[in-house]
Amino acid sequence: MTTFRLNGRSVTVQAPEDAPLLWTLRDELGLTGTKFGCGIAQCGACTVHVNGEAVRACVTPTGAVAGTAVTTIEGLDPDGRHPLQQAWIEAQAPQCGYCQSGQIMQAAALLKANPHPSDTEIEAAMEGNLCRCMAYIRIKRAIRLAAGQGAKA
Amino acid sequence: MNAPANLSRRAFLVAATATGAAFTLGAPAEAADGFAPTIWYGIDRQGIVTVHVIRAEMGQHVGTAIARIVADELEADWSKVRIDHVDSDPKWGLMVTGGSWSVWQSYPLYSQAGAAGRIALVDAGAKLLGASPADCVARNGAVSAGGKSVSYGEIVARGDLARTFTAQQLEALPLKPAGERRLVGKAVQARDIPAKTTGKGVYGLDAKVPGMVYGRPKLPPTRYGSVVVSIDETEAKKVPGYIRAIALDDPSGTVPGWVMVYGKTFVAADRAAEALKVTWKTDPSAQVSEDGLQARARELIADRTAGALVVEDPGVDAAFSAATSRLERTYATATALHFQMEPVNALAFEKDGRFEIHTGNQWQSLVLPWLAKALGRDEKTIVLRTYLLGGGFGRRLNGDYAVGAALASKAIGGKPVKMVLTRADDSRFDSPRSPSVQTLRMAFGEGGRVTAMEHHACAGWPTEAMAPFFMPKGANGVAYDPFAISGADHWYNVGAHRVRAIGNDLANKAFRPGWLRSVGPGWTNWALESFLDEAAEQAGVDPLAFRLRMLDGSGRNAGSAPNAVGGARRQAAVLKRVAEKAGWGGPLPKDTGLGLATTFGQERGMPTWVACAARVAVDRASGAVKVEKLTLVADAGVIVDPDGALAQMEGAALWGMSLALKEGTAFENGQVRDLNLDSYTPLRMSDVPDVEVEFVASEHAPVGLGEPATTVVGPAIGNAIYRAVGARLRDLPIRPEAVKAAMKA
Repeated sequence: MTTFRLNGRSVTVQAPEDAPLLWTLRDELGLTGTKFGCGIAQCGACTVHVNGEAVRACVTPTGAVAGTAVTTIEGLDPDGRHPLQQAWIEAQAPQCGYCQSGQIMQAAALLKANPHPSDTEIEAAMEGNLCRCMAYIRIKRAIRLAAGQGAKA
Repeated sequence: MNAPANLSRRAFLVAATATGAAFTLGAPAEAADGFAPTIWYGIDRQGIVTVHVIRAEMGQHVGTAIARIVADELEADWSKVRIDHVDSDPKWGLMVTGGSWSVWQSYPLYSQAGAAGRIALVDAGAKLLGASPADCVARNGAVSAGGKSVSYGEIVARGDLARTFTAQQLEALPLKPAGERRLVGKAVQARDIPAKTTGKGVYGLDAKVPGMVYGRPKLPPTRYGSVVVSIDETEAKKVPGYIRAIALDDPSGTVPGWVMVYGKTFVAADRAAEALKVTWKTDPSAQVSEDGLQARARELIADRTAGALVVEDPGVDAAFSAATSRLERTYATATALHFQMEPVNALAFEKDGRFEIHTGNQWQSLVLPWLAKALGRDEKTIVLRTYLLGGGFGRRLNGDYAVGAALASKAIGGKPVKMVLTRADDSRFDSPRSPSVQTLRMAFGEGGRVTAMEHHACAGWPTEAMAPFFMPKGANGVAYDPFAISGADHWYNVGAHRVRAIGNDLANKAFRPGWLRSVGPGWTNWALESFLDEAAEQAGVDPLAFRLRMLDGSGRNAGSAPNAVGGARRQAAVLKRVAEKAGWGGPLPKDTGLGLATTFGQERGMPTWVACAARVAVDRASGAVKVEKLTLVADAGVIVDPDGALAQMEGAALWGMSLALKEGTAFENGQVRDLNLDSYTPLRMSDVPDVEVEFVASEHAPVGLGEPATTVVGPAIGNAIYRAVGARLRDLPIRPEAVKAAMKA
């Protein structure tokens, strides 16, 4: 059994300690906003925050988050109106949308650490987030918008 | 190829006719809540318009586009329009999302449906207002006359909606002139986007029901021909949560050799599947390699009796004999994976006498008969429940994964099974884009004029594997896969033209070739547009001038109404425009080249005219290719959703770049070699070049945009590399080592 804070409230899960956090979040806790894409931390679709840091939930054992604060896309903002989420809509960024939770969570961690990233810094931070629809132009534009840098990318 | 459009239109009219009138605006049984002027939408007493959409939402915002088409003619209040992506049901007729067909097929149907609804509402509203219909105006969800107005909701609640339309009247309904459009062509926010920013969008992978168990298939070594010999559960039983393993019995032949591993959680099923030991007896497809597939393709091309003659003008051989010079080149493309972000999955169970399959799918009509055969029950007792797709790209046109889930449930008495494939499973179970070989020949006559051309293309055929009823016959009576040759039947005037399509029988035996975004044109255009640059050089003509000369719109390339008005002249126009925008003929830095390519999109019957200029810089030392900029110009007729269209051009163009430079795998021992992102490497954000897209302002019929831009980027890059450093690449993907080798050649 593992106890941690999830989106601001305390939870205790039955999943084995070595079960990937991704499946514990999705199946035991019912939060399906975090997605499964590759299972080897190469696509970023499973990105969540653990104590504010972006991590890939598919390779994070459930036991490893004991006592930490975990944030998923559902908890990024109580009303779903985080500046990135608003920018994502303004830029009309998502296509199929499946990678977008992970993209937003990764971008949120970036902007927290670096509120005004350069394009190169954005690309470096987002390198691990695959978008198979290739919506990268608008993802970058949305990040710039949220960072108050204007839409031109 | 117009068959699909006619099928869906015919299906709609037949379905409506079966109820007694081609288009009834009477009050059907559901009138208590509102009325359904057609099966395609309904209006309730609050004036909420619910548009029923059969198309899969997979990132192209198709629901929004279709709803805009209806709402514009209907003069609905956009804020009161809702989109309903329907579950499968015979009443909808053909359910398919692909081919870049959705807006093209939907535009006439939904426009007429909207117009008919508006006319009926005006008639009924006029009566309520005590005015004549001629004095009424329908606007923003209300009918007005003489300073008074009545909302659509009120009309539905109080009015007398009894107008009927025959099929002929429907087709003859005048649609709005462009100047009256309030929604089509105007900016809109896609309705599916907000949920995709909050984690609330529900994909097939997210489907759940109480009491479900999880399943992960233990996949056989090859797609076909593997038979389970033994199953050893010893290690699997040690995995907590493991339930059991069952070799599936599949009368439909869709998932041969599958063993389903059941677990209480996905983690249990996943780990148990790894631990389970299964042996199979395999057939010769277990020895198939990429080299073997390509060798077979070359062998078939060399056999003049093989394949279908898709185009066979008289005089081809004579022109080659009489030619003052000739050119022959061969091009190849490697196996490519769909790699859609959401691995295939499905939740299946029996409930209330029906089998329910919950999954994202692009072609419900195709998989329903397979499910019926697999489950041994009537199609009418099977329903596919609709979800968002975490990527389609043609993978989900092939619903074979749904059959696996259905059989997994059937094998445990119809209890709910949520089947999930890991990424490696998904890659192994992909129906990948087959490797291809193409040989092109050109004959030149007096003054370097092109007098004849041949295009021979050989690859595995997806349509033969999965939808053979869609295969037309060539001039020699041999059936062919139109999605494996389209693009070769181009709009250039090349004199006498021959196009031969050959199915790679070894490929179709060894694996299930798939339809992958842009299908045939995605690889036939690689060969065609690369070859035209090589031919231009042989003729001593600038590649732009060479193409423009042949896009003269003569003969069969003149085009026709309603879909191809203007024909080759429109292709010439986008090509000229892109060359101008990209600065064709201007100075470029060292080792930098500008390359051109153009396309007519997916099929002659629905041409989308696109041209691309790629500017690339090549590093001579390493052979690395940097794409600096892609400029694209598209003439797609009326653009329903301008920003959505732009997003599709961006995405499709980057797919083309990814397939050209970053993606490719190879068959080894009957399986694809690359299973995950450690070695299969689609484009990332840092690879993205400057992309500029321009749409030609047009009032022609709207045509498709999901795929066409994918077909031009590869050849534009190949042509640019040649112009940069003199290296001609003829095989996709283009890798730095190959660029270096070609520089030396």
